[in-house]
Amino acid sequence: MASYRRRLERDLNDWIDRGLVPADSRAAILDSVGEGRRLDAATSLAIVGGLLAGVAVIAFVAANWAEIPRIARFALVLAAFLGAAGGAAWAACGGREVTRQVLLAVAALVFAAAIGLTGQIFDIAGDPQAALRAAGLAAALLAIAGRSPWAATVGLVLLGFGDFADGGGRFDGAWRFGWLIGVAPLAAGLALWWRSQALAHVAGIACVVAVLTLDGALRAHPERLFLATAALLAAGAAGARFLRDRFEAAAGALYGWFVWGGLIWFGASGFGDDLKGVGHSIAWLALAAGVVALGRHDRQAPVTAAGVLGLLAAGASLLFNLGVGLMTSAAVFAGAALTALAVAWAMKGRKAA
Amino acid sequence: MTLPGLPVRILAAAAVLALGLVGLVVREGMARDAGREVVLPITGYDPRELLTGHYVRFQFRSEYPPGTPCPPGKGGYLRRGDAWVALTRRGDHHEATGAALSKAAALKLGEIAVRGDVDCLDRGAPETTWVVLNLGVDKLHADQEQAQAIEKIMLATRDGPATGYAVVSIGVDGKARLKGVSAGGRRVDLDWF
Repeated sequence: MASYRRRLERDLNDWIDRGLVPADSRAAILDSVGEGRRLDAATSLAIVGGLLAGVAVIAFVAANWAEIPRIARFALVLAAFLGAAGGAAWAACGGREVTRQVLLAVAALVFAAAIGLTGQIFDIAGDPQAALRAAGLAAALLAIAGRSPWAATVGLVLLGFGDFADGGGRFDGAWRFGWLIGVAPLAAGLALWWRSQALAHVAGIACVVAVLTLDGALRAHPERLFLATAALLAAGAAGARFLRDRFEAAAGALYGWFVWGGLIWFGASGFGDDLKGVGHSIAWLALAAGVVALGRHDRQAPVTAAGVLGLLAAGASLLFNLGVGLMTSAAVFAGAALTALAVAWAMKGRKAA
Repeated sequence: MTLPGLPVRILAAAAVLALGLVGLVVREGMARDAGREVVLPITGYDPRELLTGHYVRFQFRSEYPPGTPCPPGKGGYLRRGDAWVALTRRGDHHEATGAALSKAAALKLGEIAVRGDVDCLDRGAPETTWVVLNLGVDKLHADQEQAQAIEKIMLATRDGPATGYAVVSIGVDGKARLKGVSAGGRRVDLDWF
């Protein structure tokens, strides 16, 4: 795909030929766009060399790990973490944005590894869930201190793994909340504030799966829980859609994931005995159709895709719920088709007016 | 009040985290040294797994003659979060003499109370009674040679009576911390080096 600058160059030539833009303005317009920074061959080779040197050091340490005294091993682990964090601080001094982000994310990952390695070095027994949550909180601290969405993304993933790690006391029917219930919406807010698409994607997924951490409620009333989650995600999607102009791509990413989550959990709510039936399937079908229309209207491919898949799933569920009554199926699908056509006709008429 | 710059904030956060990790190691080391030492019989249990380094995995398991009743208050395969195990000295080692849902109740059943649970299999004759302790400690990291030597001894009698002992420190918080393992004349102690 051609870069924006290249497309602009082509368009400018065309506009100048048609007299829409004065030829003198060409250079000034192109200068105002600038060009994305590209790595030259020497820098690329230096990065590859640096990475290979790092791998060589790791392999050397790993080969001699058992012979290294415990205290020295611990010092090595700490040095790796402080080296990455110190590098991030140095990058922040020089305004090297990408380097700071990468090194803070690396520092967060190294600290997570350091918790595990420290437990191994000194044979400190611990709960895997507590270790993952501690690593997640450490990454969150680094993210907030260094204003780093990448480190926040690492932290959110670690906290998510912590919720699903076996803490030793699960499956006992007790009512408990996973940390994602509070942390995922917080991360979504941070993604908007920092305008980070990466964090928005992970936060969106976390918001969708957070419901699975509600252990007791999931067992007691899954249908009602899924329906309530679908409603909450629909409200979140509406909010993210409203904020798209202000928060750009980050809000767009959240909008897409919230729509996916809303449709998935609405569909899941119909698999239990409480809400199962033709009525639920028809409502699911109508919602999915509405989502397709919304996705096309907003030019949001992920939203449209969620609607299309929702239509297929809802259609399958409707057929299942109708049993083998093919005549009834034909009548229901014909009714749905007529409704969709009538809505489309009405919308077209309003647009023409 | 103005916030310090990004580099200072990053370094401060890194320093807090590094100190936290050092604090954890020091606190665990002090608790391990200060705790009351008990010796518990162990047997081999599932050899090493991939990607977790060299370690010996063991199970606190004691075997008793057929018909021996299980310790009172025993739990099941899954550890109860609030359970305590009562330990009582028998000769050169300690044995589980009961389990309870509070430290005070456990201390009525034995000399020392440790956080954990008891699982018990009291099968009919001629099978023996197995008492398995879940104290949250089940492996010792050692260098490859030592790990393989101990593993060989313990796995040779994996389904039989205990072939080794673990030296465990019981801290004032009731947590079990491993101090060392001995099997077949080989002993591995945990120290700073």
